[in-house]
Amino acid sequence: MPEWPRRINEEMRQHLDDEYAALRARGVSHDDAMRTLAGDVEAAASLRPRPVDSLTADVRYALRGLGQRPGFTAVVMLTLALGIGATTAVFTVVDAVMLRPYSYADMDRIVALAETTRAGQTMSIAWQNFQDWRAQSGVFDALGLYRPMVVNLTGGAQPERLVASLASADVFRALGIPPIAGRAFSRDEDGVAAARVALVSERFWRSHFNASADAVGASLTLNGEPYTIVGVLPEGMRFPSRLTDVWLPLGLFVPTFPADRGAHPGLFAIAKVKAGISIEHATAEMDTIARRLEQQYPLSNSEHTVAVVPYYEQIVQNIRPALLMLMGAVAFVLLIGCANLANLMLAKAEGRQRELAIREALGATRWRLFQQLLTESVLMALGGGLLGVLVAWWGVKAFVASGPSTVPRLDLVAVDLRVLTFALLVSLGTGIAFGLAPALRASAVELAAAMRDAAGSRATAERLRSLLVVGEVALAIVLLTGAGLALRSFAALTAIDLGFDPSRVVTLRVALPNARYPELPRWIAFHRELAARAAAIPGVEAAGLNSAVPLESGGAESEVRYEGQPLPKSVHEDATMCLFQAVTPEYFRAMHIALVRGRGFGAHDTADAPRVVVIEQSLADKFFGAAANPLGKRIAFEYSGGHGPMAQPIWREIVGVVGHVHHYGIADEPDNMQVYAPLEQLPIYFRERRPNMTLFARTALPPESLVESVRGVVSALDADVPVFSVQPMAAYVGQATEQPRLNMTLLMLFAALALALASLGIYGVLSYIVGRRTHEIGIRLALGATRADVLRLVVGQGMTLAVGGIAIGIAAAWGLTQLLRGLLFGVSPHDPATFAAIAALLASVAFVASYLPARRATHVDPVCTLRAE
Amino acid sequence: MQHMTAAPGLDRELKKGSAELLILSLVEDQPRHGYDLSKLIETRSGGRLTFRVASLYPLLYRLEKRGWIQGRWIEKAGQRRRRYYRLTTAGAKVLEAQRHTWREFVDAISRITGVEHA
Repeated sequence: MPEWPRRINEEMRQHLDDEYAALRARGVSHDDAMRTLAGDVEAAASLRPRPVDSLTADVRYALRGLGQRPGFTAVVMLTLALGIGATTAVFTVVDAVMLRPYSYADMDRIVALAETTRAGQTMSIAWQNFQDWRAQSGVFDALGLYRPMVVNLTGGAQPERLVASLASADVFRALGIPPIAGRAFSRDEDGVAAARVALVSERFWRSHFNASADAVGASLTLNGEPYTIVGVLPEGMRFPSRLTDVWLPLGLFVPTFPADRGAHPGLFAIAKVKAGISIEHATAEMDTIARRLEQQYPLSNSEHTVAVVPYYEQIVQNIRPALLMLMGAVAFVLLIGCANLANLMLAKAEGRQRELAIREALGATRWRLFQQLLTESVLMALGGGLLGVLVAWWGVKAFVASGPSTVPRLDLVAVDLRVLTFALLVSLGTGIAFGLAPALRASAVELAAAMRDAAGSRATAERLRSLLVVGEVALAIVLLTGAGLALRSFAALTAIDLGFDPSRVVTLRVALPNARYPELPRWIAFHRELAARAAAIPGVEAAGLNSAVPLESGGAESEVRYEGQPLPKSVHEDATMCLFQAVTPEYFRAMHIALVRGRGFGAHDTADAPRVVVIEQSLADKFFGAAANPLGKRIAFEYSGGHGPMAQPIWREIVGVVGHVHHYGIADEPDNMQVYAPLEQLPIYFRERRPNMTLFARTALPPESLVESVRGVVSALDADVPVFSVQPMAAYVGQATEQPRLNMTLLMLFAALALALASLGIYGVLSYIVGRRTHEIGIRLALGATRADVLRLVVGQGMTLAVGGIAIGIAAAWGLTQLLRGLLFGVSPHDPATFAAIAALLASVAFVASYLPARRATHVDPVCTLRAE
Repeated sequence: MQHMTAAPGLDRELKKGSAELLILSLVEDQPRHGYDLSKLIETRSGGRLTFRVASLYPLLYRLEKRGWIQGRWIEKAGQRRRRYYRLTTAGAKVLEAQRHTWREFVDAISRITGVEHA
């Protein structure tokens, strides 16, 4: 009798439903109707057919039920789609950046090394120090040295600028990445006798050689010199950067490294720690070597040690706090969503108690009812998850398209099988999370209680629902506070005076090939001419060049001294470090850098004229005191004859004082001093290592409109000079504020979602309570309560929930915002203004959410409610 | 099995036979669902005859198993599906036979008790 129990159960259930509806239509109260039907229900229960145990039946039943309530189902799915979608999107980024395995062998043994002061300031490695490290250390399988650089590729249709790196043979051994064609560098190529060979990326191999086997052995013209390709590295080789296309042997560049141990020429090391040796051990050994070198070379190495950082850490350490914060934020949103849905399901379950009681009477066990209810919520969660994946896919696409440069491995960020698995698990978990409590409660409903006296069980339900709302509000408070702090922090960041005006400035960098401009005068003349021609473009107000770019960090640093400065008493005494830059006369005017005293540079500051320098205010204050006039005094930041007692300072006369320009970033600007020398009096360091100069042109027009004419000036001067980084100065500011802006935007988005869900939660619970109390309110009104009393009663109930949630939320936020400290700038994680504003915001939203159902309550007609009795 | 509140004295066979007769005759002209059947029995008997849920549906099931009636799920717009029962050819024959038996039975009773029916 395959159809016996189910079919008859369905018919009987419908019959009882129809009977109930008919009784109610005749004005019989719910309780009386239930009492009348109780006999039938009990008789039906005595039939006790075999329970049908099948998931498909449950699924079919649940689907039919959901289809009958399209509004409810839509609200649930939408909430889930947003919650699961946001969680999945953030996970997609977390997975690509932090979880997906790297293609390097034994990633956990790969470490990045740099020199650092004991105070923690990192710098590149002196070539001489590196050689001592390699000779003295015994903890590494391979210890490689590299320097990222940019090369010009010529010989094709257009000159191209390629991201490149010089690399010693051990770089490839440390990373454990063999070439897919040809060979990597050999140890011989670390020496000065290296041949002009090159390795290229798989990407370059495809784009320039169509992945042909002939690439190995082919020739490339890089920076005007011919190189022979000896190998192709696979796609997984993303070192030093995922954009690197060419690797050149270290040995070729060894002659260009400064002979001075105190110089740090942009070299960094990557190594593989020997198996079985801990990173702590390696760090300790490197520190021992550093101390030995410190004793041996106190003038250059004093207070220096070695930073040994796991390579994985180096990649993720900057982005991790933001990612964890965002993961936390979306988890909160999802939790709030779950609380809302649990609430909705509880309300729904109450409406269905009669149905459930009948089903139980017809032989369904509690376990069966529980299963069935859970099936329903899990089904909805899966549906919501499916929509959520769409939301995530769209969100991730938009995120990747926005191209945040602070996110490593951005090209790997995509919704894939791993992400889909995650979404599936989250959906299942969510379905269980919001369906469990209602299912447990509903399935545990006592037959008698449901039939006769439901008041007690309703009170419990109301308490449970109120608790859920309090929790929701508390979670929303935490999220909103985080978002508020991020907003304040971002506002503080953008309010900082950068020392220059980035608006309406277009910048462009030129890479003059050394081979074409070997003589210094020609090199300088090119830039002089470029500045003049750029200034002559219609619409350009001023145009100047600088060897450094504000906010971009990097550049050349050196110890600066003033004439007559007492010699250091010990090697441990802090030297004053400065960033020196070479600029053309109009640079300060083009960037609107404040001239505090004296003058900028002029056409008369030629190579033959007395050496001059412009310094920043804080350096003048430090050397001469705020009251003194620094003009006419002399400083030196370069020395002939290297470090040590024999070093001869190259004095320059201070002719001007300017304001501080942010060079390292917006927030974390160290108090390094900046000095400027005229390009015509090029510092000797730059004579050996010619910098790529950047042109800054200020215009009255939108900067974008100038790009083509400025490019045209360069190609008119020399068509073979590659131009790059053509962008408005505002873009550099945008890049520097990118991560905080991203944090703020996403946090605000999630917080807004949380606020909307939480207010919906308050609204929903109050509507439910008002609906249930219509009768009571009617009696109150009949007994003389005013509408204002009713309004107060309901709003008061809503506000009690809100205030409870706000109080708990603020306490939780007080603890949790502490974790945001590293991501905040210029605002305390316990900023009272933010906390107060968020509490006020939520209180007012809660007020509105309570007011709407309250107003409905005041419209209750006492006569109607009493007549219904 | 079915419970006829207005006729507590009738014996089991009679009750059973009469209930079958009632249902078969009600689905003779048009297909009807269970709730409709129970309401019809209640109103046409002036509230003297009512069926309990727990007896009506198992009875419908048995009648269908015997091939006297045939049920079919019908879904109407905006309503949940209901099972409508119609009389089969076999059922029509049974109905005819039962009506005949019932008439003879009532006739016999009337003669004995002297009750004339209208």
